[in-house]
Amino acid sequence: MAVTFGRVLDNKTSTRIEREVASAIKRQGSDWKGNTFYTLLLVMLVLTLFILAVLIYGVVADGWDILTGWLPSFLGGTLGSIKAFEGQTLGVQQGLAGSFWIAVFVALLSFPIGIASAIYLEEYAPKNRFSNFIELNIRNLAGVPSVVYGLLGLFLFVEGIPSITGGRTAASAGLTLAILVLPIVIITSQEALRAVPATLKEGSYGVGATRWETVRRQALPYAAPGILTGTLLSMSRAIGEAAPLILVGAITGFLGSNPSIVDPRQLDDAFTAMPILITGWTQNPMPEFRVAAAAAIVVLLVFVLLLNAATIYLRYHFEKKREA
Amino acid sequence: MKKGHPKMKSVSSRPWLFALIAVASLVAAACGDDNDSATTSTTTPTTGQGTSDASSDASSSATRISGSVNISGSSTVEPISVRVAELFENVESGVNVTVDGPGTGDGFRLFCAGETDISGASRQIKDAEAETCAENNINWIELRVGIDGIAVMTNNDNPLDCVSFADLYALVGPESQGINNWSDGQDLANELGSSTNLPDMSLDVFGPGEESGTFDSFIELVLEDIADERGQDAITRVDYSANANDNVIIQGITSNSGSLGWVGFAYAVNADNVKLLEVDGGEVNGGEVDGGDGCVPANPDTIASGEYPISRSLYIYVNADNAADNSALQAYVDYYVSEGLDVAVPDVGYVPLTDDSKAQTLNNWNDRRIG
Repeated sequence: MAVTFGRVLDNKTSTRIEREVASAIKRQGSDWKGNTFYTLLLVMLVLTLFILAVLIYGVVADGWDILTGWLPSFLGGTLGSIKAFEGQTLGVQQGLAGSFWIAVFVALLSFPIGIASAIYLEEYAPKNRFSNFIELNIRNLAGVPSVVYGLLGLFLFVEGIPSITGGRTAASAGLTLAILVLPIVIITSQEALRAVPATLKEGSYGVGATRWETVRRQALPYAAPGILTGTLLSMSRAIGEAAPLILVGAITGFLGSNPSIVDPRQLDDAFTAMPILITGWTQNPMPEFRVAAAAAIVVLLVFVLLLNAATIYLRYHFEKKREA
Repeated sequence: MKKGHPKMKSVSSRPWLFALIAVASLVAAACGDDNDSATTSTTTPTTGQGTSDASSDASSSATRISGSVNISGSSTVEPISVRVAELFENVESGVNVTVDGPGTGDGFRLFCAGETDISGASRQIKDAEAETCAENNINWIELRVGIDGIAVMTNNDNPLDCVSFADLYALVGPESQGINNWSDGQDLANELGSSTNLPDMSLDVFGPGEESGTFDSFIELVLEDIADERGQDAITRVDYSANANDNVIIQGITSNSGSLGWVGFAYAVNADNVKLLEVDGGEVNGGEVDGGDGCVPANPDTIASGEYPISRSLYIYVNADNAADNSALQAYVDYYVSEGLDVAVPDVGYVPLTDDSKAQTLNNWNDRRIG
């Protein structure tokens, strides 16, 4: 009788394993299956990066005139006509402002609600048919097309409570997108909490910690990097959405005011956002607007990239803290 | 595993409640200082002077009007209204103009619900839309602001140079359902009196969707008469690639050798690698199409003169009651029908109205001609 991996094996099995190990040691690197798999993985990775490179090259090349010519005034410019393009007063500031406030709403609403829901579902809720039903529905909600959320936003915030949101405003858009990403935040946070080793929590209870202390001192710190990644990725999703905003009434043509990006007074005004601005410009008859659209795409990409970079940095920070 | 620990109940929904209350107070705080009181009026603007020196007059008295003007409607008219808004902003910087362009039909839906002050339209208001407006007590002033042709396009690979209305009816009309080769439309086109030789090429049709005024205009101008003669519904075939973005339609035409499509002229004239077909808009006589004017190419001259058979007018519809109350709206439309028609329309690449038509538009506005 031999003991392998904690299992008691009979003689027949243990001889077979001995034989396999012996042959594996003698084989000396002729692992063709493994090599093929490795090559295949590498090809897939290169293919993905290649598609990304082509996309980025395409938009940068199209937007080159603006990106190298008048990027600063483009960043501070407004929606406008072909003459605004020629006069270099066309730009993305109103779009950046709209997207910024959408991000603020997502951060202030979906993150606390989503993470709290995830903690409740993972750590507190009894496992019964009702909680299963809720989890199933959250998963379904995450798969609902974004236009549907646009309709919901139109019904709830634009037409439902115009006295609070002001109707077709940045506030309505922010609320709509906050709801859109809520299920994604819940699911990713739940996954992160589920990855906390049970031994850690059991140990905590074992030394007499309360449930609150266990969640606060063990589960949350351990899950923090995962929660953070999930939430900030959902933020990127919210910033890139166009379809719901069209329904909520984002403006494509012209906005009279151009307040600074962080000015909260624009919340109850007509608004636009980066993806809307881009779709609007691709619909203009003048070919110059395709240059503007490409440049705006680059700006949006950089915006999202910065956000993701922040995620990676924070994740790294939390992971180091966790190990310490 | 995590459920291995006892004392499970009683904590229940409290975290939820907490989060909800916290969030509710946040929202309330964020949106507290609401109510953009549509600050209107201070000085009554001098209405109806429609000369080009209006801007210099007004710029001396700049920023005396405040208020907001809310514009939606046709994406084809949108660039004109945007340009007018830009120019107007230099004159009256206190007025907050918003321009959107979801489509003529969507625009009228908002306009007749009283949500917008002005609706751009690339066709005239439909009876059903006018009824909705009437139900909601919305009186409107129709102002013609420009002319636009609808360009019929194909790929450069196509040997064809000219199509007649009969050919178009045979290729995209209600009876063309299912046809996927140009030559399959030949019999019907001949029957309607066309003498065009349709090529033996696969047929891929691209066009705007139903929300578009360009879609409606195309039916009204090209298909309706023939369809009526033949006792058919005036619609297009259903099996074509519809897109709200004219540039996507053009892209489709560029990349398919047997393509056929229609978009507003302003879009087509700026497109590379597509062939603008000449159009023969012969009159329909008892199901037969006579020679008409022959093949006419689409260009600004033929469109302005109406020689090109698929020309339509572009309009703005102004909410008459809002115009009476809102001096900002008055000033904007004043500016639109004077400077706008002279400067903004050609600025954005559209075909301007003839002087007579401009005068007509100005009169209609000055008289506040309703309906």
